[in-house]
Amino acid sequence: MASSEGANVAVIMVGGPTKGTRFRPLSFNLAKPLFPLAGQPMVQHPILACKKIPNLAQIYLIGFYEERDFTLYVSAISNELKVPVRYLREEKPHGSAGGLYYFRDLLMEENPVNIFVMNCDVCCSFPLSDMLAAHLKYKGIGTLLVKKVSAESASEFGEIVADAETGELLHYAEKPETFVSEWINCGVYIFTPEIFLAIQGVASERNNHGTLRRVSSFEALHFTTKSTQADFVRLDQDILTPLAGKRKLYTYETQDFWEQIKTPGMSLKCSSLYLAQYRLTAPDLLAKGDKSNSAKFVGDVYVHPSAKIHHTAKVGPNVSISGSARIGPGVRLIGCIILDDVEIKENALISHSIVGWKSIVGRWARVQGVGDYTAKLGITILGEDV
Amino acid sequence: MKALILVGGFGTRLRPLTLSLPKPLVDFANKPMILHQIEALKTIGVTEVVLAINYQPDVMLSCLQEFEASLGIKIVCSREYEPMGTAGPLALARDTLIDGSGDPFFVLNSDVISQYPLKQMMEFHKTHGGEASILVTKVDEPSKYGVVVMDELSGRVHRFVEKPQVFVGNKINAGMYLLNPEVLDRIEMRPTSIEKEVFPKIAQENKLFAMVMPGFWMDIGQPKDYLTGLKLYLESLRKTHPEKLMDGPNVLGNVLVDRSAQIGDRCLIGPDVCIGPDCIIETGVRLSRCTIMRGVKVKRHACILGSIIGWHSTVGQWARVENMTVFGEDVHLSDEMYSNGGVVLPHKQINTSILSPKILM
Repeated sequence: MASSEGANVAVIMVGGPTKGTRFRPLSFNLAKPLFPLAGQPMVQHPILACKKIPNLAQIYLIGFYEERDFTLYVSAISNELKVPVRYLREEKPHGSAGGLYYFRDLLMEENPVNIFVMNCDVCCSFPLSDMLAAHLKYKGIGTLLVKKVSAESASEFGEIVADAETGELLHYAEKPETFVSEWINCGVYIFTPEIFLAIQGVASERNNHGTLRRVSSFEALHFTTKSTQADFVRLDQDILTPLAGKRKLYTYETQDFWEQIKTPGMSLKCSSLYLAQYRLTAPDLLAKGDKSNSAKFVGDVYVHPSAKIHHTAKVGPNVSISGSARIGPGVRLIGCIILDDVEIKENALISHSIVGWKSIVGRWARVQGVGDYTAKLGITILGEDV
Repeated sequence: MKALILVGGFGTRLRPLTLSLPKPLVDFANKPMILHQIEALKTIGVTEVVLAINYQPDVMLSCLQEFEASLGIKIVCSREYEPMGTAGPLALARDTLIDGSGDPFFVLNSDVISQYPLKQMMEFHKTHGGEASILVTKVDEPSKYGVVVMDELSGRVHRFVEKPQVFVGNKINAGMYLLNPEVLDRIEMRPTSIEKEVFPKIAQENKLFAMVMPGFWMDIGQPKDYLTGLKLYLESLRKTHPEKLMDGPNVLGNVLVDRSAQIGDRCLIGPDVCIGPDCIIETGVRLSRCTIMRGVKVKRHACILGSIIGWHSTVGQWARVENMTVFGEDVHLSDEMYSNGGVVLPHKQINTSILSPKILM
């Protein structure tokens, strides 16, 4: 079997500062991919999932943030994982497929048999080894991770239609205005190197003649600027849609949790999902509160070792506390993310909120979000040093 | 000497507190409202007090008997079966008030809390020799009330103007009068307003005099004014009987605590707080500008600001109560919940936060 001999490579698309504006005010100071969920940077979750990939030669992060934003992180995580992790910067956005194509020489350096591609802002269980087994069986040029969701929410994503028996991808539509399918594209893919040929094909076709393609009425407004860039190629609309139904692309279904981390509200929810996952994958990371002088913990809680919590505080469920945070006596924390260096004074209560770096919450204060993660204003966010 | 206290009716503005007790018996600074007045009357030698009420709950009677016994003063009730206005009740009580001695009698309004300068009123009344003396108080916004236009030096009242559009004076009727028995001859046995019908006539005959209120004055008939009145009362208590107020490292400003109440450590209490008998305030609680009635339990780390918590209620751990919340009797707020201006009727359990002011049945 090819996989046991050949190498594999993973790519995580991290985007850039012009994207992720919905994540403000938190993304003012820190690149969104580095924002901590369940105590670890957002991008670390897919990176750690790559441990499941056999013969993993290299992990690449592709995006258009400044290089210095990622330098420290990348070297630290390489050391920890013992796998080289490298950040590749696109000087200008090429689209999700264009970026892959642009760096294809680097990606192909180790002659990988399979290229795993993931979006950084996807929160899920990353069932990469099972997905790889399916991909090898299909022998196509790509396999997509898909999931069934409710009909109403499906239109926010890319909807796919797959053959129930063969698993082949028959049809793909990105954020359709009318209902196409309840199955959505999860943003996790496994490709063979032939994908680069497909991307090249699309780019040259575009140069030759205008392609007739279906676009949403919203996109049509933005179309004129982007279509002229020959090398701006989006993975979903430009590659997957034309290849669907040609026995090249297949699907693998997951029934585990899946969310997109677009807003800070979702980051609270995803942090809880990852905390729950720790029960199975990394139970040592969850706080236990068994020592005589430790605080009371309820449900899933992550506490950084350098954080200090007074023993009369009650923390949880679904709380994540970052480094050097100080939680005072009689404090109550529910469903929140407490970032580095924060001080929460006596008897305060924080619920369904994110408290930004170096902020101070006074005695008996109450910081409360509604707890509805999908609502735009559902949570309270305190930016840095409030 | 005799006195009449106008008690009136159901006290609807002080609901939900008045759903459990008649208004005169609702506690203010750890004493039933009416007891503040009765005690002040007793001090200057009043021997009999008539309560003019227009509905008679039985619970009143038994309390009144207790007051009678402990204070050594006679208390009778005069019941209006139809609304008699502000003067009519005096006519109703005529036989009790006129005892042949010719002494003047006091008329007080049960909603008013003040320093009750009754002795000074008596001296003032003797000096001017007129038929009636009324107490007036200076306010910033006189147009909200009935203004008394008077001569500043002699105190002689020229006239009353109800809610004036232009500035005529800044003294308003404080609801406390000292009247000669002849005044009763002017009042017919029908619904009559003392400010609109009786006093203007006496003023025309130059027999009505007004004294400016020294000290604090507040109509505590509604919750917001109740708390303001408490602040003024405690300030005054600080001057007259500072030993009654609580002091200590976890006390700010003026705080009155009943002896039987228990307060945990790491609390911060005050300013302007009153805690009733048998209350339990647990560790780490913050109280400010609030009244906690008898038997209330405030659990750990809770925070109560600008609110009134009714008898035997509970406020849960880490709960926050603020912005003129009023809990009736036996109301229980669950742990970690928030009440922003909630008005909660008696015997209710609250399991979700009240995010904006509203009434909970």
